[in-house]
Amino acid sequence: MAVTVGQQTPLVVLDEGDRIVGVGPGAESRFGPLLGEIVWDCYPGSEALFKPHYDAARTSGEQVEFAQFYDGNVVRVRAVPGTGGRLELYWQRLGRLDTLTLESLLETLEESLEMLAVESSAAERAGARRALRLVEGGGR
Amino acid sequence: MSTEALDVQRRAASYAYVVLDEQDRIVHVSTALHSELGHWAGHVLWDHLPGARDVYGPCFAEARTSGGAAEATVFYAGRLKRITAIPGADGLAVHFEELVELDLTSLASLTRSLEAIEDVLAAREHAQPDPRARAFPRALP
Repeated sequence: MAVTVGQQTPLVVLDEGDRIVGVGPGAESRFGPLLGEIVWDCYPGSEALFKPHYDAARTSGEQVEFAQFYDGNVVRVRAVPGTGGRLELYWQRLGRLDTLTLESLLETLEESLEMLAVESSAAERAGARRALRLVEGGGR
Repeated sequence: MSTEALDVQRRAASYAYVVLDEQDRIVHVSTALHSELGHWAGHVLWDHLPGARDVYGPCFAEARTSGGAAEATVFYAGRLKRITAIPGADGLAVHFEELVELDLTSLASLTRSLEAIEDVLAAREHAQPDPRARAFPRALP
């Protein structure tokens, strides 16, 4: 299911070096303290997941929208290139894994994989699904 | 089981443990868990762990019913743990050993975590035919 990120104001703005140089009005509490930081330093493991999309937006000069799984969340991001390599990021959380019990994990992971079905790497989804089946099968 | 044997088991098990009274109220928290659970002393365990009764409860009940140690491998709050419940005169000592923690960073890391869980379960099944070791299915839907 494709979802369009509809915010009017960007969540954050990055400069050409992926440093956070702007924060939207609804995101000050989360991102305000990170102003001036390189975004990848603040979110370990996120660079490989997001940077290729950001680079694509900068290179093409066209906005890019994609869904991604990170830190237990499924998010949809719209990256809009500006002048001088700046990038406006609009962000929407679509879902979150519930890891309280195995039952809730299996249910929310399946939902997350469905949300990612449109654009995420088929190999990654297949890997997670296979592992999911292993764990389910291992308990029976 | 003799008191001496219980003491041996308690020493051999991990030092991360709590002692529960018959109502599952926490009456003692080991030093290793003090920063995490110390403020729950005097509280009923289930009041702080939503949904945990169905996961941990059967192991506790088995230990109390049999009068001997009961062990289970369970998944709760993003972690696969081995719990050992040992009944004694002062309550039920429950030892926790963390086996695998889910890494939610990416789908790839999550997949590796799930595979690690499967490896632990497979190794346990291979090494320990004791039927109590098959307690994990209780945590499954």
